[in-house]
Amino acid sequence: MPEEFEPKIVAFLCKWCSSAGSDLAGVSRMEYPPNVIPIQVMCSGSVSPLYIFSALNKGADGVLVSGCHPGDCHYIKGNMYARRRLALVKKLLEYIGLEPERFQVSWVSAAEGTKYTQIIKDLVKELKPLGPQTKLRRNP
Amino acid sequence: MVNIDNLKEEVKKLIVDGKVKYIIGYEKGRNGLMSNPIFIRKPEDVEKLVWDHSCVYNLAKFLVDEKRRKAREKQPDTKPVGVIVKGCDSRAIVVLLQEKFITRNDVYIIGLSCEKTGVVDERKLTKKLKQKIPEKIEAGEKDTFIITAADGKIEIPAEEILATRCLECKANFPVIYDVLFGEKTNRNVENPYKTLENIESLPQEGKWKFWEEQLSRCIRCYACRSACPMCYCDECVVDTINFAVTADTTAEEKAAKIKWLEKSPLSSENFVYHLVRAIHLAGRCVDCGECERVCPVHIPLRLLNKKLEKEAKELFGYEVGMDPSLPSLISCFKDEDPQDFIR
Repeated sequence: MPEEFEPKIVAFLCKWCSSAGSDLAGVSRMEYPPNVIPIQVMCSGSVSPLYIFSALNKGADGVLVSGCHPGDCHYIKGNMYARRRLALVKKLLEYIGLEPERFQVSWVSAAEGTKYTQIIKDLVKELKPLGPQTKLRRNP
Repeated sequence: MVNIDNLKEEVKKLIVDGKVKYIIGYEKGRNGLMSNPIFIRKPEDVEKLVWDHSCVYNLAKFLVDEKRRKAREKQPDTKPVGVIVKGCDSRAIVVLLQEKFITRNDVYIIGLSCEKTGVVDERKLTKKLKQKIPEKIEAGEKDTFIITAADGKIEIPAEEILATRCLECKANFPVIYDVLFGEKTNRNVENPYKTLENIESLPQEGKWKFWEEQLSRCIRCYACRSACPMCYCDECVVDTINFAVTADTTAEEKAAKIKWLEKSPLSSENFVYHLVRAIHLAGRCVDCGECERVCPVHIPLRLLNKKLEKEAKELFGYEVGMDPSLPSLISCFKDEDPQDFIR
């Protein structure tokens, strides 16, 4: 039986909310797929679109950017800037023909461990049928 | 069309009065019809100025070079630089002012209105004339151009040879100027994003096929970057210059250097380069069409930038290059920005 495809997801988690949320999921011993490679960033507003393109270029099957809910940002308004910028990135990636499921954004607070596990579960479920991402990947 | 004598008179006056350092304008091209940029420093050079439908260059690019030159001089001449601009070029200056790259005192803007026409697309023209060499172009009556070639005159409908961006241009006149020639007239544009529809209507795989076909041809000559008045970063992601490699640089140091993308023109690397460029120009691209014009392999780069211009308008109600006192697109936000894509 051929092995099932396991997508590799790069998650940019903001230090103050989403990363703490994923920690909560961990210490609460919630179960979720091990496909995520978490990268802690100081704020979702510090995620340059270049990080996203570069992750896809270097072999990620999907990218998740996660930050605090609007109004909860540790830096007051970093996530508001991120929201605007990531909306453009999302539209651009769809426009060049990348599957829209491959790039996702979410708001996860430090208390939302369950939401975080649910997002990862959904993401893995959506990415599995798509197969490996070869469009932007170097040397496919 | 703007009376060239009035323009020359104004330019001469500015030079003679010593109000400006020099004036950047257009002169008759040395290679066929298309005009060349000219730097006027002496009153006798003023006679070389031309203004017609072949003045395609975006002269705002030279303001970026001027700023760099000024930074290197020990005692720079602080007089403003005069620049002749069309509608699109003036919007480029607005964006440079918005970003505080230049200040209003650095530049004396001589605005010329395109008056419902625009500039010609050299490729369309060559195709239309079947390789014949045009010598002169004039506006005819009723939306036509009269082209003079060696074997006589030809009349061509304007929309067949006008640049696509001019056909989709909403403001044919300068939005910022110190002196304006011509009338502020608007062209009737039904749908400014018409060329985008061909691609947007494709299914997802079709879009990918289209862009892969286009971008895999890129030879990474960076002509698009060089011609763009907005591409003024000191360091570009594709060639990091602040990493000095000396005899003491160890292999580990070299290996630890972040390499966002390879320089080789692979399809995947080309995609990253063009995506980064498109995102950098989101809310900044004024649709002057220079990137597409200079591309040696004819990649429709304008379609990438125009798409983000459209999204900026539809998602955030942001119009590029209209008011220098507004913040730029991604350095501001509104509470009601759409977030239906976020989980």
